[in-house]
Amino acid sequence: MGKLYDKLAEDVRFIEGLKACLNCGTCTAICPAAEFYNYQPRQIVDILQTRNDEEIEALMKSETIWYCGECMSCVTRCPRGNAPGLLITVLRSVSQELGYFVESEKGRQQLAIKRTVGEWILKYGYCLYPSEILPQMHPEQGPIWEWEHENMDEVMHRLGANYKKTGPGILRKIPQEDLDEVQRIFDETGATERYRKIEEYSRIKADEMGINLEPGLDNDYIRHIYTVNEKDHTKDA
Amino acid sequence: MNNKVIVIGGGVAGMTAAGALADLGLEVLLLEKDSQTGGHVKNWDRLFPSRRPGKEVMDFVGKSMGTGVEQRCNVVVNSIDRSNDGFTVHMENSEPVSAKCLVIATGYELFDAHKKEEYGYGIYDNVITSAELENIFREGKKLTTHDGKTPRRMAIVHCVGSRDEKVGNLYCSKVCCVTGVKQAIEIREMLPGCEVTSFYMDLRMYDRNFEELYYEAQQKWGVNFIRGRLSECAENPDHSLILKAEDTLTGRPLKLTVDMVVLLVGFVPGAETRRIAQMVGLQAGADGFLLSADEHVQDNSTSVPGVFLAGAVKGPACIVNTIADARATALQVKKHLTNLKTK
Amino acid sequence: MKIEGKRNIWKDYQKEIAADRYFYVRSCVRQNFFPGSEKTFLRIMKEELHKDLFENAAHTTCSGIGYHSDVVPFETAMTMVARQFSIMTESGYENFTTSCITSFGLYSEILETWHHFPEVEERVRQHLLKATGRTFNKPVNLSHASDVIFKFRKEIAANGQYKLINKNTGKPLQVVEHIGCHYSRMFPGKGIGGAEYPYVLVGMIEEWGGEVIDYPERRHCCGFGFRQYLIQANRGYSISSTKKKFDSMAPYKPDFILTNCPGCPMFLDRWQYALSEMEGITYGENGHGIPVLTYEELAGMILGYDPWDIGLQVHQVPVEPLLDKIGIPYDTPRKFLTMDGKIMGQPKAPSNLKFYQHE
Repeated sequence: MGKLYDKLAEDVRFIEGLKACLNCGTCTAICPAAEFYNYQPRQIVDILQTRNDEEIEALMKSETIWYCGECMSCVTRCPRGNAPGLLITVLRSVSQELGYFVESEKGRQQLAIKRTVGEWILKYGYCLYPSEILPQMHPEQGPIWEWEHENMDEVMHRLGANYKKTGPGILRKIPQEDLDEVQRIFDETGATERYRKIEEYSRIKADEMGINLEPGLDNDYIRHIYTVNEKDHTKDA
Repeated sequence: MNNKVIVIGGGVAGMTAAGALADLGLEVLLLEKDSQTGGHVKNWDRLFPSRRPGKEVMDFVGKSMGTGVEQRCNVVVNSIDRSNDGFTVHMENSEPVSAKCLVIATGYELFDAHKKEEYGYGIYDNVITSAELENIFREGKKLTTHDGKTPRRMAIVHCVGSRDEKVGNLYCSKVCCVTGVKQAIEIREMLPGCEVTSFYMDLRMYDRNFEELYYEAQQKWGVNFIRGRLSECAENPDHSLILKAEDTLTGRPLKLTVDMVVLLVGFVPGAETRRIAQMVGLQAGADGFLLSADEHVQDNSTSVPGVFLAGAVKGPACIVNTIADARATALQVKKHLTNLKTK
Repeated sequence: MKIEGKRNIWKDYQKEIAADRYFYVRSCVRQNFFPGSEKTFLRIMKEELHKDLFENAAHTTCSGIGYHSDVVPFETAMTMVARQFSIMTESGYENFTTSCITSFGLYSEILETWHHFPEVEERVRQHLLKATGRTFNKPVNLSHASDVIFKFRKEIAANGQYKLINKNTGKPLQVVEHIGCHYSRMFPGKGIGGAEYPYVLVGMIEEWGGEVIDYPERRHCCGFGFRQYLIQANRGYSISSTKKKFDSMAPYKPDFILTNCPGCPMFLDRWQYALSEMEGITYGENGHGIPVLTYEELAGMILGYDPWDIGLQVHQVPVEPLLDKIGIPYDTPRKFLTMDGKIMGQPKAPSNLKFYQHE
């Protein structure tokens, strides 16, 4: 009993985030996720403080932990100093480490994040990179982004960027030796291992679901997890 | 100076202690910093749970002092000296007075609702405190919104400044729950067309006739009780207020628009209590209220021989407990003085 | 609403902001979507305020978006941040200023974590040393770039050519201010004005002549929510948050929205476009939408910089009606030209949201 709980409690964010809950609901009251999804941050704290591993495992395999937007509004309000938003970060970390994330459709989306933002950090040294933000994946970016995308070098030049060039400045090419340092930090601190696990568990799940998963973004599994909601997750469902 | 006792603080605790000490044959001087005695209770219209007029209790307590108590108001205590023979209290604009014993009955202050920033007190015109509402009742004024309209919907918010680490107060203020229920009934009584919704975490109806009052509020007066702490209050264009809370019994976030909000402000240790305690070397607990010699069996005396405590200096207390406590303090003072004599 | 009530709260949340010698780190979102804002910040710091602001090409993302979308572990994010501190130290600076709010929140969270758990800081130092051979000092002063503009808001006003006054009516412009969630929600004391009524943008708006609107959903998140935007299937969360805010602010008829987080202006701008396409809803006057500005852009406008030099042409919601209200001239034919004045086509006009194109 309590093994999973103990694992969560190894994380300082868990110690910081879980004091004792009054179940007062100030967190749920102003939570943007609770207004949209079938989600209550209070319930997360409530389940965790039971220390019941079965319930905690079910939580980590559920859609629930993936609804939070990590805005941390809950932290401002809690009268007991709990931080549901921080607890979510720990639950998501362990859910990925143990492969539980592939058991929910919102959790499975982590592969798409890993293959975009996750890899761009290593490839470019930026979380986002303009040539990768494809208008077809971002229709909400509108005609302005389509135009920027078509003329990216010139637009960036006009706006004062040092796009793809050496030296300091906006969207400069980050020197290879610095990207190498980032890679070594990732290797040393567990990010590379997490990436590997996200890939490995997703591969197994894709096989189980019978959906084709290839490297890169142009394959059925990525398209599926990126675009599809198999069920209604909203609070009105 | 024989058997003189100085009681500092002229609220219900101090007045009761002073009267009881006089009854026991002691010479009593009561010091009050305000222009009149009566403390917080003199500002209260009706008292829970029976909703009898507060004035009746104040009259009783006032009369209990009889003629044996010398009262001085507008007193500022500057310093207190301790000697083998007792204490000398130095005051602004008057001669020092010496006494064998001191009773500290400086009470509490109401939580400053400005500190609960997200409730918008002092920012939004239609957010008031429970003390302000009581004042409206006491002065017989009309209960209206800031722009003079009769409210059609009001909210009562429990635990403002209590049970809240964010404002530094972990403790329960004890009297707000039942005060909230009482005030909800009184709003309904005064304005039958006004809906009242209370936001609470727990309703601590611990004393005689409290639970019955809660039942009456629900059953007879139709007060709504929502189990959820108010998370924030914002203002609509028409100056009504929009409240966000969770109904924790259904697990849903909810928004409620009301015309006025009443914040049930809790007790906090007073600055004056802290100052006087420092003068005589008394310790406060983690909650800032003063510590007695023993929380169970010597709750009226302190670590300083000859210094006694009465009432809400030791933490939130209702009137009935304050009166009982102050009478007990008087007995302990008498016992202390008798022991000194026999030595 | 009594502004004195807010002023009393603001007094409680003063924050020390370094006066000079800043080590500047960039924002991923800003660089992608509003690069002109960072360029304008540097221009103001150097040309108007004559400050020493240094950027080292070796700095990278802090990995914050990866961290808050949970693919990057906390341990990694802490070590990435430690590396940024190392580059600051190596460059001879101790005042750290970041362009990004996610970063600012992450730096604050990490410094706080190290304060409470010194053994974690020690572990991160070992990670960094092992991975890169680097050591570091922690910053003496940590600020967000909006803190710095706030600090110098009076100087900017003094050098300014324009005020936030409607030139036709002579009345102050009505402004919605939107604060990035990670500016002060976790640590109210780290933000100017605290978490409930942040003053950082209000101070700029007041100083530059405008009036601030207080509307019910003022505190609600723009709807980024990291994974809630990064994944297309989750964007309902994102757009519905933005819609909630716009529905709430619309009755106050704001002239524009001012933001301090890199992500928020992009979402508040783009989701207005998406709502206009999806539901035919346009906010603001006559289908123009409500312009959304970054604080760097606004400072640049006040200082009289050319609107196209500060990047206003890459807003999907047109900024021209606001420029007209203030009386800032702009050269429409130059809007979408290259630096050398060459034509590179122009964006298509949206179906419902008005758009300003040249011939």
